[in-house]
Amino acid sequence: MPRLSRSDWYDLSRDTNWTFRYVTEDAVFPEELSGSHRVGKQQWLAWDEPYKVSYREYVHNQVTKDTTTYSLKNAISRSKVFDELDPGWKSVILAHYGAITMPEYLASIGEARMARFGRAAAWRNTATFGALDEVRHGQIQAFFPYGLLEKEPRGDWALKAFHTNNWIAIAVRQLFDDMFVANDAVSIALQLTFTLETGFTNLQFLGMAADAIDVGDLEFGALISSIQTDEARHAQQGEPTIKVLIDNGHKAWGQFLIDHMFWRSWRAFALLTGLSMDYYTPLESRKMSFREFIEDWVIKQFAEQFRDYGLDFPWYWDEFVRELTWYHHAIHTVVWNWRPTVWWNPDAGVSPAEREWLEEKYPGWNRTFGRHWDVITENVRTGNIAATFPETLPLACNICQLPIVRAAGVLAGAHTDPAPLRHVHEGRLYLFCSEPCKWIFTQRPDRFKGHKSIVDRFLTGEISPPDVGGILAYMGLSEPEQGQDATGYAWANGG
Amino acid sequence: MALLPISATFDGDLVSLLVAVDDEDTADVVAQKIAHHVVGRRVAPRNAPVRLRVGGQVIDKDQVFRTIPAAPLDHVEAFFDE
Ligand SMILES: [Fe+2]
Ligand SMILES: [Fe+2]
Repeated sequence: MPRLSRSDWYDLSRDTNWTFRYVTEDAVFPEELSGSHRVGKQQWLAWDEPYKVSYREYVHNQVTKDTTTYSLKNAISRSKVFDELDPGWKSVILAHYGAITMPEYLASIGEARMARFGRAAAWRNTATFGALDEVRHGQIQAFFPYGLLEKEPRGDWALKAFHTNNWIAIAVRQLFDDMFVANDAVSIALQLTFTLETGFTNLQFLGMAADAIDVGDLEFGALISSIQTDEARHAQQGEPTIKVLIDNGHKAWGQFLIDHMFWRSWRAFALLTGLSMDYYTPLESRKMSFREFIEDWVIKQFAEQFRDYGLDFPWYWDEFVRELTWYHHAIHTVVWNWRPTVWWNPDAGVSPAEREWLEEKYPGWNRTFGRHWDVITENVRTGNIAATFPETLPLACNICQLPIVRAAGVLAGAHTDPAPLRHVHEGRLYLFCSEPCKWIFTQRPDRFKGHKSIVDRFLTGEISPPDVGGILAYMGLSEPEQGQDATGYAWANGG
Repeated sequence: MALLPISATFDGDLVSLLVAVDDEDTADVVAQKIAHHVVGRRVAPRNAPVRLRVGGQVIDKDQVFRTIPAAPLDHVEAFFDE
């Protein structure tokens, strides 16, 4: 029997739509889970994925990726590679595993929701592969840090972080609940695959894989590359979905969902990637600054996507672009000061040579942020380490859950008032770091009103005793797990 | 006497802090409580008194905090008065 080429049978085998006779369309695709009812059933059939793969090809590709990546890991785990890595880089991967492993696994729920409640069979087919991808990403990123346990016990935060009330875990969990665990199929396609994956993580994974190879972490480099190739495929569900919405007169809804999630993705990236690129990655391995990465890659790509689909830049675009010069620097200083509250060792990254690099990449850095580090450096040099630790909590934003650093925006000339933004809803006061975070809340308060930030929990008596020890215990951090300066303060004594 | 959590920044610092004060504290005491978390930690000490500003108004150092009036999580700023 002659073998048919894929194009001869692909559409037929993929388009398994049928007409329901025993149940209504609404019962099969409840709006809460599908989010697709703005567009009619027939119009959804135009959904077409740009990247086609059959199940046989999929399995073949994935087995090859797993075999290559796992065997590289087995070869390396017997060597001293991890011991010889730069301490700042070790923090990059510990932060990554704790914050990303469980969300990858949870993303399989998001993909599975599209695989069940997406309105086109083609979409459900593509999302099925996406769900399998994300299970793989969850598993492989739990297994790799498991291999580090002998050398770095906090590798177990890959599993542990999401089962704690650590403030970073609260922030990441709240974000991903919003983005895919508690979201409908259409919104997931636009917010997870179009905005986060295509716009940010796919690019970041490419950059991170290159950095990993550069610092000599072949294991992490291979892992990230293998994940990135899956992501490049399943991220393409966003484009056909936005196209169907726009072609049927619902651009405004698509724009709203993208504006909402672009800001949230930016916040998460500033925290995780901003600190990694500009402070934790060893100086000699930095190819570009975080700002250059966002400008040259993320903005450039979004500009193309927006143009291709006739979308507008989000209304807060100017504020976003201005933040590239200051926001993550402020978050870095806060994370370093509050280092016992994170499961990795923050690298101050402010040796004389590094400060020179920061000033070159961010003119004015010394005047704006360097002066805080001058005080901190002086305390370290005179042995007053106690003064480098905090005795209270920063206020947290009720959307992004990150410390409110508008005061740094004042120093950078981006804001005039350091006070947190406020909003009262049903008698409860909510605080925000920025106009876009406040806008996200006030557009759909029912979606967010029940959540409590770490500060809300502290003030309502959920953390006891209400002191630094109680807070660290609440966050799941025993003493050996608490973050310390990555280099034992070498940066302070070097110059 | 009642504990009052406020939102506070110190001029020159970069983050809003949760600071616990007593509503019977004078503005001067509140300013010192904020300075405790910032001055000599991220902002260099100076030879100048620390004052309090609420909603753009500088508060008399002897004014009792609850008479400003102040509610939980109201925002106040401390600064060096030079
Ligand atoms: Fe993934
Ligand atoms: Fe925020």
